[in-house]
Amino acid sequence: MSTTFTLNGQPVTLEVADDTPLLWSLRDDANLTGTKFGCGIGMCGACTVLINGRATRSCITPTKQVDGTAVTTIEGLDPEGEHPLQQAWVKTQTPQCGYCQSGQIMQAAAMLKDFPDPTDEQINQVMSGNLCRCMAYVRIREAIKLAAADMRGAGQGNEPNDGTDTTEGAAS
Amino acid sequence: MIKRITAILVGLGILLLAVFLVYAWEASIPEQDPPSPGNFSQAMLEQGEALAGIGNCQSCHTVDPEQPLAGGRAFPTEFGTLYSTNITPDTATGIGTWSREAFHRAMREGISRNGAHLFPAFPYTHYTKVSDEDLDALYAYLMTREPVNAEPPGNDLRFPFNIRLLQAGWKLLFFEEGRYQPEDSRSELWNRGAYLAEGLGHCSACHTPRNDFGAEQTDLAYEGAVINNWYAPALNTSSLAPVAWTEASLYDYLRSGGSTYHGVAVGSMADVVHRGLGRAQDRDIRALASYFSAMAEPGSEEQAAQTATATIQAAQQRSAETLGYGEKVFTYACASCHYNDPENPSTLRPDLSLNTALRADNPMNLIRVTLEGVDNEEGLPGVVMPGFAELSNADISALLHFLRATHTDRPAWNNLEDEIERQRQEVATQTESAQ
Amino acid sequence: MNKLFRSLLNPEHGAPAEPPKVSRRGFLIGAAAGGFTMAFFRPGLSFAQPEDAVENQTFEPTIWYHIHPDGRIVVNIAEAEMGQHVGTALARIVADELEADWSMVELHHVDSDPKWGLMVTGGSWSVWQNFDPLSRAGAAGRMALIEEGAKLMGVKASQCRARNSQVTAGNRSISYAEIVQRGKLSRTFTEEQLKEMPIKPPSERRLIGKETQALDIPAKTTGASQYGLDASVENMVYARPLIPPTRLGSSINRIDDSEAKTVDGYLKTIKLDDPSGTVPGWAVVVATSFHAANKAAQKVKVDWNPGKTANVSERDVLDHGRELIESSDKGALVVNDDGVDDAFSSADTTLEHDYITHSVLHFQLEPVNALAFEKDGQWEVHTGNQWQSLILPVLSTALDVPEKNIVMRTYMLGGGFGRRLNGDYAVPAALAAKALGRPVKLVFTREDDCRFDSIRSPAYQRVRMAFDAEGNPTGMEHHATAGWPTQVMVPSFMPEASNGVKFDPFAIQGAAHWYSVGAHRLRAISNDLANETFRPGWLRSVGSGWVNWALESFMDEAAHKVGKDPIEFRLALLKAEGKNAGSAPNSVGGASRQANVLRRVRELSNWQQSLPADTALGVATSYGQERNMPTWTACVAQVHVSRETGKVTLQKLTIVTDAGTIVHPDGARAQVEGAALWGASMALHEGTMLENGQVKDRNLNGYTPMRMRDVPAMEIEFVDSTETSVGLGEPATTVVGPAIGNAIFAAVGIRMRDIPIRSEEVLKALKA
Repeated sequence: MSTTFTLNGQPVTLEVADDTPLLWSLRDDANLTGTKFGCGIGMCGACTVLINGRATRSCITPTKQVDGTAVTTIEGLDPEGEHPLQQAWVKTQTPQCGYCQSGQIMQAAAMLKDFPDPTDEQINQVMSGNLCRCMAYVRIREAIKLAAADMRGAGQGNEPNDGTDTTEGAAS
Repeated sequence: MIKRITAILVGLGILLLAVFLVYAWEASIPEQDPPSPGNFSQAMLEQGEALAGIGNCQSCHTVDPEQPLAGGRAFPTEFGTLYSTNITPDTATGIGTWSREAFHRAMREGISRNGAHLFPAFPYTHYTKVSDEDLDALYAYLMTREPVNAEPPGNDLRFPFNIRLLQAGWKLLFFEEGRYQPEDSRSELWNRGAYLAEGLGHCSACHTPRNDFGAEQTDLAYEGAVINNWYAPALNTSSLAPVAWTEASLYDYLRSGGSTYHGVAVGSMADVVHRGLGRAQDRDIRALASYFSAMAEPGSEEQAAQTATATIQAAQQRSAETLGYGEKVFTYACASCHYNDPENPSTLRPDLSLNTALRADNPMNLIRVTLEGVDNEEGLPGVVMPGFAELSNADISALLHFLRATHTDRPAWNNLEDEIERQRQEVATQTESAQ
Repeated sequence: MNKLFRSLLNPEHGAPAEPPKVSRRGFLIGAAAGGFTMAFFRPGLSFAQPEDAVENQTFEPTIWYHIHPDGRIVVNIAEAEMGQHVGTALARIVADELEADWSMVELHHVDSDPKWGLMVTGGSWSVWQNFDPLSRAGAAGRMALIEEGAKLMGVKASQCRARNSQVTAGNRSISYAEIVQRGKLSRTFTEEQLKEMPIKPPSERRLIGKETQALDIPAKTTGASQYGLDASVENMVYARPLIPPTRLGSSINRIDDSEAKTVDGYLKTIKLDDPSGTVPGWAVVVATSFHAANKAAQKVKVDWNPGKTANVSERDVLDHGRELIESSDKGALVVNDDGVDDAFSSADTTLEHDYITHSVLHFQLEPVNALAFEKDGQWEVHTGNQWQSLILPVLSTALDVPEKNIVMRTYMLGGGFGRRLNGDYAVPAALAAKALGRPVKLVFTREDDCRFDSIRSPAYQRVRMAFDAEGNPTGMEHHATAGWPTQVMVPSFMPEASNGVKFDPFAIQGAAHWYSVGAHRLRAISNDLANETFRPGWLRSVGSGWVNWALESFMDEAAHKVGKDPIEFRLALLKAEGKNAGSAPNSVGGASRQANVLRRVRELSNWQQSLPADTALGVATSYGQERNMPTWTACVAQVHVSRETGKVTLQKLTIVTDAGTIVHPDGARAQVEGAALWGASMALHEGTMLENGQVKDRNLNGYTPMRMRDVPAMEIEFVDSTETSVGLGEPATTVVGPAIGNAIFAAVGIRMRDIPIRSEEVLKALKA
C-alpha cells in the first residue's frame, strides 16, 4: 500500500493501492496533473513519464512497479520549464489543444537520448505511439529536430533532470 | 511345482527388498550445536556468499524477502506439491544442528541429516560435483545467516511418490555421485565455467527436459524445457537465437540482465541474474560465459554484430510491407521502446527480431512478458516495461502473429488466443494468491 | 438568448447570414478595480452610468477588456480554447486598434454567466463574428485614452497619436498605465459614434496579419494548463459511469454491487434519475479514487432492459438512408431551382452515383469528464465545454434548479472538434453530486467516452447531373441523409426549407456550392433510425464532412465522364455569375475566388507533372461550410496505391486557402495543417461501424486515427487578402477526402465511393 520513489528529484512515499496505475497516483495523490489520461491501454502516449530516464506509459504501470526508481514528469523535466524541447515546442508553436503534449515532450526527451540526431524514420517509429488528435504532427517533428540540434550544440551541459539513469552502464 | 516357483519368487523378492532396504537405509548424523561464527574466516564467508549466489539458493528457499532462506516455497510437480526447506541455522526448524558432515552429505548424496532421502527437486545431482572447499565456504555462509524460526508446510505428494525410501531407487537409476572432473583439452576458464554451471549453478535443471521420473534427460542436455510456467530456452546449438551467444553477449546478459543481441532476463532467470549471480565475482561470470558460448558455437563478435544488423533490417523491411491490425498494435504500443537503428541496436531497446522468446516454439514467455511486463527488478534493473494486459486477447494475438511473421522465419503459432487466455488466468491466480 | 445564433441562420440556404452587427448597443469605458474597463454593454441599459454597468458587468459576450494601473491589458474571452488559439486571435484584433503594447496583453477565459449572453464556440465562426466589433472596441478605447492623455499632458487630442501603449504629442508622451493611474475615464459611445469610429486601414495594422506566439502555448509545454480533467475541489469523490446498451430507451432492472464491495475505496453505485432525459438508464459507480471507481465499475453487474435500437447496425442505418432517398416525398428541399426535372428529362446524358461515409468518433484525446457540486444553493460545474448556453438549461432541468444558480467554470479543452458543443457529459456528474450530496468528479474511461460519443452520423448520399450534348452540366441533384445533430439537440434552431420542412442546416452545409451547373436541387433528409440509435454530433465541419465527399468525388466523375481535366472542368463552372457572383463583405468575388485558389493549387502542385506508376494527383475544392462565410479552399493530394496490398499512401497535400484577412498567420496555418490531416485521417485511417446499437471501436485498439508516420508532406498557402476574415478550423477537413479519392482514381483507375477507404476494399476493386 506504500510506494517510495524519487519524483522530479524529490523523495516521495505514496499511500495507494499497489495496482493503482502510476498515472492516477501522480495526478490525484502527488497532484501533478501535467501527465494526462487518454486511452488507459498504453496506446496514445498522453500519460508518458520517464522512469529512470526511459519513457514509460504510466496508465498501465502499477504504482508499486516504480518502487525505488526515479520518476520524472513534465513538471520536473526542467525546473524553469525551459528544457530545449519545451523551448522548441514554443518556438515552433506546436501545441494546439495541448492535451497530448506533455506525453509527446517526455517521449521525445527519451528518444533524443537514444537518437540524438533523429532521422524522419526514427521519429516516425518512436513517436507514432503518441497520438496527437489535433494532428500537430508536422510541428512536433520540426520541434524535435530543433531541440535535437540545440542539445547537440549544447553538449553534455544541458542534461535534463530525468533522474539517475541507472541503466546507462548496461548499454555498453 | 508352481507353488515352489512362487515361493522362490517371493523369497527372491523379500531378499531383494531386504537388499534394497539395506541399500536405501541411511544413518542419521547426530545433531550438534551451531558452529560459532568465529570458526569461519571472512574470506570463507565472502566465498560462501558468492557461491550461494551462483547456486541461487535464496530463489527456491525464500518466500518472504524479509525472511531469506526460511523455505516454504511451493513447487507444484506432476507428483504433487513439494515445499522447500528452511536452510537458515535455526535449530528447531532450519539446519542449525547440522554438522559439516551432514551438510556435505545432503549436498552430495541427497540425504537429510536424519537419514531421509531428499527429493531431486533439490538438485544434489549437481551439487555432488562441488569441491570440499566450496562446500565448506557455503556451509560457513549458511550457518552465519540470521536464524528464522519457520516450519515450511509438509510436502503434499501422491502415493507412492511420498515414500522417501523409494528415492534410493531413483538415485540408483538417475544419480551419479562424484566431484567435477576437469577436461584437460579445455581452457581453465571453460573448466571453471563448467564446474560452476554443472555444479552449484545447476543450470541444466531448468534448461534440460526431464523424463517421466523427473530426471534430466542427459541425451537432451540444454535442449530447453518448460519449467514453472516459463520456457527455459535451449543453450546449445539448438538455440533459436538468431545471433548465436558469444562470450561477450553471455557476459553482458549474466552480469547486467540484458544482451543487446538477445534480450533481457525475465521470470526465474531474472532472479538468477540479479539475486544470484549478482553476488558472484566477475571472473566467475566470465567463466560461465566461456562455458556456454562454447556450447552455442558462435562466430566472431563481428559476425554477431553483422547478423544482428541484417536480422533487424530484414524484420523492418518485412514490417514495412505488412498491413493489418497487428502491425498497428506494434507501431502504436511497442515501437516507441523497441524500435532500433539496425546499425546500432540498444540493449535498452530490446529488438524483438533478435529475441529468443519470439522465435521459440512455445510462445509462453512472449505472452507472459506482454501481459505482465518487466518489473524494475527484472531484466535491466531500473527499466520498467509495463504489462499490456488491458489489450484484448485478439489484440495481443494479432500483435504476436505479426511479430512472428515479420520478425522471424519461424512458422506461425497455433491457438494463440487460447494460450493468451490461459496465461491471463495464470496471472490472475498468481495475483490472488499473492494477496 | 439564442437570437444571435438564430440570426446566423439564413433559412434560404441553411447557412448563417451576416455576422452580428454592432447594433442597438453602445460602448462604455468606466473605472473599476483600480483600472479601466472597456466594454460593449447590453441593449436597454442606460448610457448615463458607465460605472454601474462596469460594476454589474452587464456586458456583451466576448468583447470586453480591462486596463490595469500597471498597464496590463486583460482581454476577457468567452470562447472556448481548444487548440485554435482563439484568445490570441481575438486579443490581437482589439490590441491592434487599441495601439496596445502586445507584451502587456493577457487573456482571461471567463466562466459562464447569463450576463455574457450566448456562449458557443464552433462553426469556425469566432474570428468572423468578432472581427468588426472587436476592432471598434479597440478603436473606442484608443480614442478615449488619447483624449484623456491629451488632457493630462495639456495638449489637444488632435495633436496626439497612440502607439505601443503610449500617447504621444510631439516630444511628450504618457503611457496608458499612467493615464489609468491619473485619469478619470468615464465615457460612453453610442451606436452611431461607434459606427463612425475610425478603423485603421489594413496598411496601418501592426498586429493583425503579423506573426506572433499564441498566449496559451507556453503553459501547454510545462503541464501547467488546466483542463477539465485536472479540476478538483475538497471532499471530492470520483465516479465512473455505467452506460446502458442503447443511447436511448434503456432502463435498469437491477444493480448487483456485491462484488464491487471488495474494492478498497468503493462507496456506492447510484442509479441516476434524470428529469432532463439526457442519460436514461444510467448509473454511476462512486469511490474515493478513480482507480477504485474504475475497478469497482468492472465488478458491478447491471441488468438492463435495453431500448429498441439494441440490434441496429451500420448497414441498417445506411439502408434506411437509401430508402429515404428513394422516397421522393421525404426531406427538406433546401435548394429547389425551377427546371431541374426538365433538365434531366431533356438531358443528352446523365450521371448518377451514391456515396457513403461511415461513423466517425470525435476521439478528442481528453475523455469527457465533469466535476459538479452544490455549495450554498449555487451549483458549479467544472468542465471543458464549447457551448455553455446549450447545456445550462438542460442542467437546470436535470437538477431542478434555476439556470441562474448554475455556473460553468471554464477550463482548457483537451480537444473539442465539436464533441464539447454537446455538454451532455455534465448531466450525470451533476445528478450524481445531487444524489450523493457531495462533489463528484465523473471521469469517463476512453471506452465510456466512445460509447457515449455524439458520433458523426453515417451518411448516404445520391448525386445526379444532367449534361447537354457538349458535355456541359444543365442540372444537378444532391440528396443527402444522415442523423441530424441540430434536430436532436436544438430543434428550435432548424430553419424551414422551401417545401415547409424544417432541416438541420449543419447537416447539409457545403452542398449549396458555387458551381454554375444549371437548375439545382438539394434535398436534406433526416435519418430517423440514426437519430434514435445514437445522438448525432457536430464533428469538425459537420455536414461538409460527408457532403463534400460526395460532391467533389462526383465532380471528378463528371469531369471524367465528359472527358475533361478535373481542374478545367471545375474552372469552367466557377463563373461567378447569378447567385454565384458573391456579395460584399463576406463573399465578395464569389466563385471567382474559388476559381482563384483552384488555379493557384494547380500551379503549386505542379498538376501536369508525370509521376511514377500507380502514383497520381487528385483535386478537390470547397468553400467551407457557410455560403455566407465562404472560406475558399482547394486541395491537391498525391497518392500511391499498392496493387499488391491495396494500401493507399498519401504522399503530399497541397492546399491553398483564401480566408480573407488572416489575423494570426501562424495560428491560421496550424488550423489548416490540423484540419487537413483530420480530413486525411477520416479518409484513410479512422471510421467505425455501428454494431448492436453502439459503435464497434471504443479505443485505440480498433479505432486508429492518423499517427506521426502517416503524415504526408504538406504545402500550405494563403491568399494574401484584406477581405473579411472568415473561419479556418474546418474547411481543410472537407477537401482532403475527395482529393484522395480522386487521386486514387487517377493512379489506378478505381473509384472509391465509401470513406474510410480501406485497403481491403481497394484491393477488391483492383481485382474486380
